[in-house]
This record gives sequence, C-alpha cells and structure tokens, in this order.
Amino acid sequence: MSTDKPAWKARLLSHEMLLLYVLIAEWLFFYFTGTTTNRRGVIVGFGTIDRQFDILRHSCEIGLLALALTPVILTAGIDLSVGSLLGLCAILFGKFWHDAGLSIPVAAVLAIGCGAIGGAINAALITTLRLPPLIVTLGTYSLFRGLAEAITHGAVTYTDFPESFLFLGQERWLGLPTQAWLFLLVAVAVWLLVHRTTFGRSFRTIGFSPGGARYAGLPVNRRLALVYVLAGIISALAAIIYTARLGQAKADAGTGYELFAITAVVLGGTSIFGGSGSVHGTLLGVAAIAVLKNGLACLPVVMRMNAAEEMSGLLTGALLLLALTGSVLPKILSTLRPRRQPA
Amino acid sequence: MPPAPLLELRRLVKSYGGVRALRGVDFNLHAGEVHALLGENGAGKSTLIKTVTGAHAPSSGEIVIAGESVSGLTPTTARALGIACIYQQPALFPDLTVVENIALRLEAGATLRRLDWRARKVRAMELLARIGAAIAPDAEVRSLSMPEQQLVEIACALGAGARIVIMDEPTASLTQKEQHLLFAVVRELRGSGVGVIYISHRLEEIFALADRVTVLRDGESVGTHAVGDINEAGLIKLMVGREVAQIYPASESSAGEVVLSVREVGCRASGVHAVTFDVRAGEVFGLSGLVGAGRTELARVLFGLTPADTGEILLNGERVAISSPQNAVAHGIAYVPEDRRRHGVVLDLPIAHNMTMAIHPRIFPGAWLRFGAERSLALEFIRDLAVKCAGPDAPGGSLSGGNQQKVSLARWLATKPKLLILDEPTQGVDVGAKSEIHRIVRRLAKDGLAVILISSDLPEVIGMSDRIGVMGGGSLRAILPGKSDPHVVMAAALGTAEKGAA
Repeated sequence: MSTDKPAWKARLLSHEMLLLYVLIAEWLFFYFTGTTTNRRGVIVGFGTIDRQFDILRHSCEIGLLALALTPVILTAGIDLSVGSLLGLCAILFGKFWHDAGLSIPVAAVLAIGCGAIGGAINAALITTLRLPPLIVTLGTYSLFRGLAEAITHGAVTYTDFPESFLFLGQERWLGLPTQAWLFLLVAVAVWLLVHRTTFGRSFRTIGFSPGGARYAGLPVNRRLALVYVLAGIISALAAIIYTARLGQAKADAGTGYELFAITAVVLGGTSIFGGSGSVHGTLLGVAAIAVLKNGLACLPVVMRMNAAEEMSGLLTGALLLLALTGSVLPKILSTLRPRRQPA
Repeated sequence: MPPAPLLELRRLVKSYGGVRALRGVDFNLHAGEVHALLGENGAGKSTLIKTVTGAHAPSSGEIVIAGESVSGLTPTTARALGIACIYQQPALFPDLTVVENIALRLEAGATLRRLDWRARKVRAMELLARIGAAIAPDAEVRSLSMPEQQLVEIACALGAGARIVIMDEPTASLTQKEQHLLFAVVRELRGSGVGVIYISHRLEEIFALADRVTVLRDGESVGTHAVGDINEAGLIKLMVGREVAQIYPASESSAGEVVLSVREVGCRASGVHAVTFDVRAGEVFGLSGLVGAGRTELARVLFGLTPADTGEILLNGERVAISSPQNAVAHGIAYVPEDRRRHGVVLDLPIAHNMTMAIHPRIFPGAWLRFGAERSLALEFIRDLAVKCAGPDAPGGSLSGGNQQKVSLARWLATKPKLLILDEPTQGVDVGAKSEIHRIVRRLAKDGLAVILISSDLPEVIGMSDRIGVMGGGSLRAILPGKSDPHVVMAAALGTAEKGAA
C-alpha cells in the first residue's frame, strides 16, 4: 500500500511535516493580522522580533516539560506530576537559597536532585508495585503540590534573587533569551537519547509491546525508571528557569502546565498508546501552541474582547483534535479508496 | 445440470501495492459441503477470506454468490448475503453474557427500543440447541472455554442466516476432545445445507472432515480434489510443490560437552518442581508432554522470567543464578517464545530492530545506534534464514507466521547463544517453513549449539530430538532416547509408564 509510494512523498506527508505546514500558516496568519503600527509609527504586535523572543522565552518551561514527557509517553506511560514537581522544586530552590543560605548554583543542583527524587518516587511505584502510571502520577500530582504548599504555608514567596540569576530568565545571551539556550541544550540531548541511542529504541519497544521487550531481555524496569527520573530532573530545570523569569518562587508555579505539555507532545505526533513519536514533533507541537497563544493576544478583535486566554484554550483544543483526526484520516482514506474502484 | 454453487470465485486477483497476493484463483463451494482450503502461510488463504467477507475489495475477478455476481462487497453486505467467518480467536465481548453477545450480533434497528430479554434468551437457547452446545445462556463469555466461545460464534452465524460459513483454523487452540465436539457441529452444519470453507494446517482434520480440498500456493489454486482421491503425501506435495523426501533431517552431530545441567530445579510460582537433566553441545533435547505439563514453565525458569527458587543450574559446569532475562542472555541462553505475536516479535517495529533487540550492548557500543551495522546484520539473517519480506525496514507484523518465527529465531541466533530454547517453533507455521525451521535447528546443533526443543507435535519432537524429556505435572517424568516409539512417549506423558515401572 504505502510501500510503492516514493519515500520523499511519504516524508512530505508525515505528521511532523503536516504540523510544520500548520505552524507556518499559523505564523503567517498572525504576522499579517496581528501586526500593527501605533500612533508614533512604530511597528507593534506579533511581527516584531521582541515579540518572537517573548514567545520563545515563555515557551521554555512548558517546552521543557513536553521534552520530559516525550520519552514517558513513548513507553506508553504518562506523568501528570511534572507541573506540580515544577512548583515543589521552585519552592525548594528558593528555600535552599533564601532560608539555608546556599549559593544559587548549589541550591540549583540540590533542587535538580530533588526533582530526580520526585521522578524516582514515580518510577518506584510504577515499576515495583506495577501500578498504572496514570494513577501513580495523579497521586504525586497532588502530593508534590501539597508539599510545596505545606512548605510555604501557602503564603511564603521567595523573591529578591540576585541580578546574576535573573539574567537566566529575563535577559538575552548571544542574541537569544538566555533560557532558550538551556532549552535548546535539553532538546538536543533528549533528541539524541530518543532517536540515536538504544535507550530510545527500548522506550519504543516497551511502548509497543512491554511483553515483547521483556522476552527480548531488555531491562524494562530500568528503562522505565530512567524516563520518570529524567522527567523529574527536567521538571526541576524548568522550575529554575521559571523562578528566574518571574523573579519569584511560589507554590503555585507551573499549575496546569502538565496538560499543556501533554497537549504539545500529542499534537507533535507521539502516540498516547506508546511506541511511535518524535522529539522534533514535540518541539513543533510546543511551537504551534505558543504561536497560537501569543498570536491571539495580538489580534485586535481578541484584544478588544480581552479574551486571549479563553480563545487560546479553545483553539489549542481544536488544533489538537484536528491533528489527531488528521493523523488517522490517511488511514481511513486508504481503506476507502480501493472500494471506490469497481472490481 | 447441478444447481449453481453457493459461492464461486472466478479469476480472483488481489494486489497489495506491487505484491500480488492472489493471482487469479478459481474456487467454488456447494451447499452441504465442507471444502477445505490448504496452503502454506502466505499462500493467499487469508487474502481469499478477506475478499469473500468484504474486508478487502478484489483487484479483478468475480465473486458469484448463489448464481449472482456481486461487486462492491462490504462486510455488511457480505453478512447480509449470508457469509459468516469464525476466526481462531473468537471476537466476542468477554464481559457480556452469551445472550447479550448473540443479541448484539443479530439485533439491528433503532437505538431506542424496548429490550425483550425473554425473547433474546429464547432465541439464544434455540440457536445453541441447534448446534448441540450445552452452554448456559447467562454465562459471561469470559468464563467460557475457547471452543465454547467458537460455538457461540457459530450460533451467531446461524442466527444471522449464514449459508456460507468460513472457519479459519478453528482447532488451533483446542484439545482433542474439544475438536471432536467442533467436528460434530461442522457436520451438523453440512447436514443442514450450509457450505463450509474450512482452513487448517492439520491434514488429518481435513481427511476426517472435508469433502473436497483446494490447495493454494503462491496466490494460485494448484488443484481441487475430492478428499477420497488424494492422500497426505499428495497434499503436501501440492502445497510445497515438491516431494518432501524425508520429513525430518537426520541428526549429524555428536553430542559434546555438557552445556546445561539442571539439578533438582523448582519454582513454586510456576509449579515446576525437582527437574533434573543435562543438555550437551550439539544435542537437540526434546521436551514433550501434554498441554499444562510444565514445559513452557520450565523454559521460563531457565530464561529467568520466573526464576528458580530451589535446585541449581550449571552452565558449562559453573553454577549460575538466572534471576532475569537480561541475566539469562548474558549467560548465553536464548529463548524463542511460544507466543510469537505477543513475545517473539514486536509487530510494530521493523524486522531489523527486532533482530538486534537482544544484542544492543554488542552491536551498539556506548548505546549509540549504528544503523549501517544493524541493516547489514538484518540483511545477513534475512538471506541466511530465507525470510520472505519487503526488506529490513518492513514491520514485523507484515510477515506471515513462519517468517515472523524466523525473525524471532534470528534475534536469538544473533546473540550467539550456547543454549537455545525453542518453544513450539513450528506451531501455526506452514509445512514449507516448518521443514526449513527443522533444517535450521539441525544445522545449529551441528555447529555445536545445545538446543532444547519444546513441541506438542509428537512426530516432530520424536523426529527431531536426540533425547526426549517427557514432562507431566511440572516435573520431568522420563528421559527417552530419540526416535522412541510414539506410544512410549505418550504413555510417559500420561504417567502410565511410571505406574508400570513402580
């Protein structure tokens, strides 16, 4: 069926490429409708470099969580706790620095260590007790957020971080928002892990067939543990750049981020049933959502209604459903096609 | 002039992309006839069924049902025309009762309507009675055995007024007794004027049951015969296109050093207890026994899937603890599992990925994938084992059963094991691939591999093994020499020899 189709044609119609076309169309649409000139003749809105950097800056945290979730979802797992772990690690980071008087780098390393422990708790419950990841991480989703709020009594917010730290979240380095470099680094690392190492191969195998992976002698539990611990570590990184961007660490940091991140991963073509998907797809998914969200905020009509949040939620949902439909549509069409030809 | 056949296929062709799965097949089925369809895996049997049931449209050719040419067949219209297919794995809802399942199949119409539970139950009981099945209509399908589920399927087919019933390897997972029950139902169907297309790999079933037999080879019909006019050898010859001169290749190896030594090994969790035997290099050690004798369980213990909790296992004279499959692989133990589709091959992954799955550390040093090395290894095995496939990138699921088995075998040969455990390697595999697998196993033994061959196929285990271990109730009941009398092996499996000796 698809075997005689030329390879380039299949590639141009892959999920990732289709998403890229959507992203370009989306971007062009907002470029032409969301860019205006103000009274003083200065170009404002979507089409400015500053706005583009802003989009990038604001995508980094959800982007990191989406990168963390891609290997997890490839193994047919899920991690709902990443947003809560982001909040907990932000609070712990603030506490290590402010209350314990540690230097920023030491506090950051400790916070990342805590992220790893958070991930390890998920991993231990999933691999040793064989509980479904959805239930385990639903539990730790509440647990981590609850811990963060208990530590701060729901009131304490850590602020007054040094300028040198805020540079990471608010300034530019070598032309790009500083945290974008970190994001890029993690993206490359996760891409290599998933697409160029035996680890990524194992994630897919486990996602497609956990029994098959076990019978092939693959260390299934160790690989599963790796994806959840990695998710914890990346969540902690996201917590640090979140704190640096806002200049404050608070217990509600990252609330609801896990859902945006899952949306980005699935939009990027990773199957929620595990096995198939790609890291570049995830990045495109993140970009598509970020451009949509920011572009809408620049549309005059949306600005008048003051409904950017609502609109972006609505359209993200629509885009996700469209992408899912689009990914199964070719299959449906290919089953219909032969029947149309008279026998 | 005889009445028009129930079903007639004329010059039926079906291509998938460039592959022609059916190349102009002629076939006909009369009312009140059991017509067996025979052929190697990949010969086109499944494709033929799919076109007849409307799942796939033929590329060219004609389907004639009761004298009328039908085009644009869909599963719905096929069912309306009285075509029903009973698959090996019944497609019933396990959590619903028998009555509910039958009702779901048969009741069409409005979504919102009153359910007449009494009528539903009466009809279900009638249908079950018609095929002589003693199944409680209120039982959950989950609680039924495989043959009982098949009977429910047949009841559904009858209820839908099926005139043409297709049975795709219905006895593959049945015991002897269950088979006889099913055969009785098939004869019943034949008696009531239904035409049955019966697909099976088991030749003896065809002789016991069918009126005519059609053999497919490479997408073509190579002959239709009345069952009385042909014998087993003739059928095998038609299927493989050549005489199978000697069914089992002779042992050419002489047993060398002891590779595996199992001493009083037991595993409480899987019911294996006090098993003791040795396997030598170059030897094929057969494991025979009835279903549930503990052969697969023993293999799982040796492969670390359910580690042993008593006794000791020695490899090349050294005591080893096999606590996990990774551990077993590291010790040079390979296990080709019984359930190919769930454990042997990852169907969604390419053949190449499947073949390197157990040798990641060796072929991918430092965990970095080396696509070139992987591809050439896969090509080597595809050639070496004559795997019929579109190439190393084709997904495992696109292969026929026998070729999947070769991929599974290649994965383990790639580990260069000392001990190879084969669990039902030829089950559901066609005759040609079967003898190929036999030759491969012989060659491996000749090269000095120690092989444990688990097989429910008595002639196979007797013909292939140098020694035969007979299991029953989780323990090893006897070790017999190769080429033993089948009656002796069966007696040992049943435990009668033990009593005789005592």
